Amino acid sequence: MSEKLTRTQQKNLERLGGVNPAEQPIPRRQFLTQLGGTAALTGAAVGAGLIIKDNWGMEGVKPPPPVRLKNYAVELLPSKPSLVVVRSNPVDSHGFASKDEELKAREDQVLKMVKAALSEMGGIERFITKGDVVVVKPNVAFDKNPDLAATTQPETVAAVVKLCLGAGARRVIVADNPINNPESCFFKTKVGDAALRAGAEVMMPQHSYFEDLYVGGETIKNTWKMFYRPFREATKVIGVSPVKDHNLCKATVTMKNWYGLLGNPRNQFHQDIHGIISDFALMMKPTFVIADGRKLLMRNGPTGGSLNDVKKADAIVVGTDCTAVDSWCVSRLLEKSRHEIIYLDKVIARGLGKDWRPQWTSEVTV
Amino acid sequence: MVKIRRAYEALFLGLFLFFLIITDLRYLRGWPVSLFLEATPLVAVSTALTTHTLYRNLVWGLVVIAITMMVGRVWCNWMCPFGILHHLFGWIGNRRNTKQMIEVNRYRKIYAIKYYILAAMLVMAGRWIVPATWAAPGDIVAAYKQSHASGVGRLTGAVGSGLSRAISESKTGSSTLQIGLLDPIALTVRSMTTSVLPTVHTATEGIYTEPREYMWGWIVGVIFVGFLVANWWIPRFFCRAICPLGALLGLFSRFSLWRIDRDPVRCTDCDLCLKSCEGASDPQGDLRKSECFVCLNCIEDCPHDALAFRFLPRKASEVTYPQVGRRQLMMAGLFGLLFYPMTRQSGLVKKNFNKAVIRPPGSVAEDEFLRRCIKCDQCIRVCPTNVLQPAMFEAGLEGLWTPIMVSKMGWCELNCTLCSQVCPTGAIREISIAEKLGTGPFEAKGPIKTGTAFYNQGRCLPWAMDTSCVVCEEVCPVSPKAIFTRNVEVTSRWGETLELKRPFIDPVKCIGCGICEHECPVKDDPAVYVTAIGETRDKSRSLLLSLVEDPQAQELVSV
Repeated sequence: MSEKLTRTQQKNLERLGGVNPAEQPIPRRQFLTQLGGTAALTGAAVGAGLIIKDNWGMEGVKPPPPVRLKNYAVELLPSKPSLVVVRSNPVDSHGFASKDEELKAREDQVLKMVKAALSEMGGIERFITKGDVVVVKPNVAFDKNPDLAATTQPETVAAVVKLCLGAGARRVIVADNPINNPESCFFKTKVGDAALRAGAEVMMPQHSYFEDLYVGGETIKNTWKMFYRPFREATKVIGVSPVKDHNLCKATVTMKNWYGLLGNPRNQFHQDIHGIISDFALMMKPTFVIADGRKLLMRNGPTGGSLNDVKKADAIVVGTDCTAVDSWCVSRLLEKSRHEIIYLDKVIARGLGKDWRPQWTSEVTV
Repeated sequence: MVKIRRAYEALFLGLFLFFLIITDLRYLRGWPVSLFLEATPLVAVSTALTTHTLYRNLVWGLVVIAITMMVGRVWCNWMCPFGILHHLFGWIGNRRNTKQMIEVNRYRKIYAIKYYILAAMLVMAGRWIVPATWAAPGDIVAAYKQSHASGVGRLTGAVGSGLSRAISESKTGSSTLQIGLLDPIALTVRSMTTSVLPTVHTATEGIYTEPREYMWGWIVGVIFVGFLVANWWIPRFFCRAICPLGALLGLFSRFSLWRIDRDPVRCTDCDLCLKSCEGASDPQGDLRKSECFVCLNCIEDCPHDALAFRFLPRKASEVTYPQVGRRQLMMAGLFGLLFYPMTRQSGLVKKNFNKAVIRPPGSVAEDEFLRRCIKCDQCIRVCPTNVLQPAMFEAGLEGLWTPIMVSKMGWCELNCTLCSQVCPTGAIREISIAEKLGTGPFEAKGPIKTGTAFYNQGRCLPWAMDTSCVVCEEVCPVSPKAIFTRNVEVTSRWGETLELKRPFIDPVKCIGCGICEHECPVKDDPAVYVTAIGETRDKSRSLLLSLVEDPQAQELVSV
């Protein structure tokens, strides 16, 4: 305060006790904290910025690494058949006191049939071991009554679930990505209820449950969105499918059942239907598959809609190779000529599956 | 000092206008024309929130933050072209006497609004934190189970990888970038591009070679002029009350080492320092550090030299933090949280995507696009054909003023990638001609498609009116042409036999450039038109299975 102060300024100085606080030296602590703090924060901001710097705008849009499906197949003893056809006379709907009893009888029968088929192949223990997490993939693409044979029969799903749990499976997940509304499909096909009663979990698709799956095939050359969440922990996979007609690829059996795991826009695959179905032989190596040939949708597939399109039959086909099972079903059940089914020829030509042979097949009747 | 500042203001405004004018095919060369857009820290911070990355030159924003942390909000009065324009407009409209000027520059409570705007916009951008928080515990448990490490390492590793998994999974489809609506640079570039320059051109014919027209551009212009004229009632109204960038810098300026400081002895409480105070930051009392624009006018105006720009002055004589109401801040945050779910009701990003939302080539998939685009319309400025237009609600409320291609206005020039070069945020990521056309290293990947053309056979001359035409085939730029013809013989109304070429689209070859639509003689509702389906930026919008990526087509980076 060397210069001359005005009267007001002198009053100010007196009020402040004769010391001008603005001229005090900077306290060391303030100096260090403020300088250090600013330097540290500036450094942190610039550093963080350099870490997340993205020169080409590609980092932000880079998809997560694609998932791959494991090989869920198990080795069978060479002496055992790889395809078993079980036949049993259909349960007569008359002669039961109530609907529930009839249902019970039908469930028991299917359980017996599937069990018989599996024991022919070496027993369920051959396929499911203690602690397994099993994904059961039914075909519930449409919200229709099971009697219309457009979807997997609920009692077959229940039988498979019970057998898996009986063999010591830790979890059984029943999952499908239907064409119609998922809740509605699982409800009206009765598969949801049957699965839950048998002790399985039902997993319906949600947006976040889809991941990029690497296929590297002929039609899916690279990756495609797949309903992968149920497979995160899975150790075994079982396909349970109906046997039905299809307008485009002529038959929907166990191979086309895997279509139900793909995400949108999957309808584009109709531009190359045989290619995509043959890709499934590459994509999915299931533990075993079941083609439920007790009700056959002979025409108007894959949706059906009339009981006149449904033919009652008596067979359940269990096998480890979708190709053989489909081949058997189309010629023996759907009354189609084997070479009408182009995808089967494709699969065989690509070496991804083997056609049905009598020497690997056994037929049993329960 | 004030003279130096004025020189800087002139320099930066001049530089901005220079870049604006040369954002043009004729003059562009290698100039960094998007520099101002890349330097606004609000863009850096908010795109880092939405994309978890920092695109290319947005690091400049960090430099501005660093400067702010040293010397305060110098950006606002020395560099920001919109701020400088406000300064200029306030000066033009100023008819007040000294006393009125002092009163109009006192701090008002409404100046806290900018902090609420910033809060709402940052919450919108960071909304992925909500789903990430939900997903995190599950992901951490899953990572812990999968981990083969042991002890503490297993736990920390699981927390780290679980968190990063939850964050990256929650990134898509849960946030939106809206800062561009009010970011001063984005707003200025947008206003200049879509209304000021076209208007000036019509008056002077000195800016473009061909006049430009922008749908609803006048709305952008009215908002721009409105903000400028507001200075006549409240000086620096936009900067003081609205600007979210100012609010962000206000938060960072709390660290600044230098600031205006008042000498309590020399000060005679004459309030003359308020006369030209740009920021309304109360230099006559305890300085509001977050509001000060560092214009240094107060130092000049003080008759007693009581004010100085000091290094580390007393903490006691400043208001370090912005004064905001907790409730208002919470309401703003809540609005930000709910804005995204509300706008996505339109379904326009996924299920209900609009056929008219044809994005320029190089654009990233729509969800990501809306998390990157700041609506600066720099792409629209540089587009040589006028095809790029600011959207109204075609892409939803979120997509207001984002670029779409309107083929009646222009077409996408085949050998041009200018929009991708000037985009500051990578909403249109930089592509080369080779990548756009799918040649050279991009052969396997194929060309970038922005949509697919279709015929309206009821309006097409050879299809409906027995008249030869096929202008569309003539102009189709790809080779081989995406438009081909089939010869037909028809009997005319008067009995003569006519031979006509009827055009068809080959969807494999069509890239959606829209020149066929632009040149179609059926001008009002062209007989050939482009819609967004088949665009390659999003696999779920593809049309043809045969065009789905090849595994050999690696993710190559352009240029």
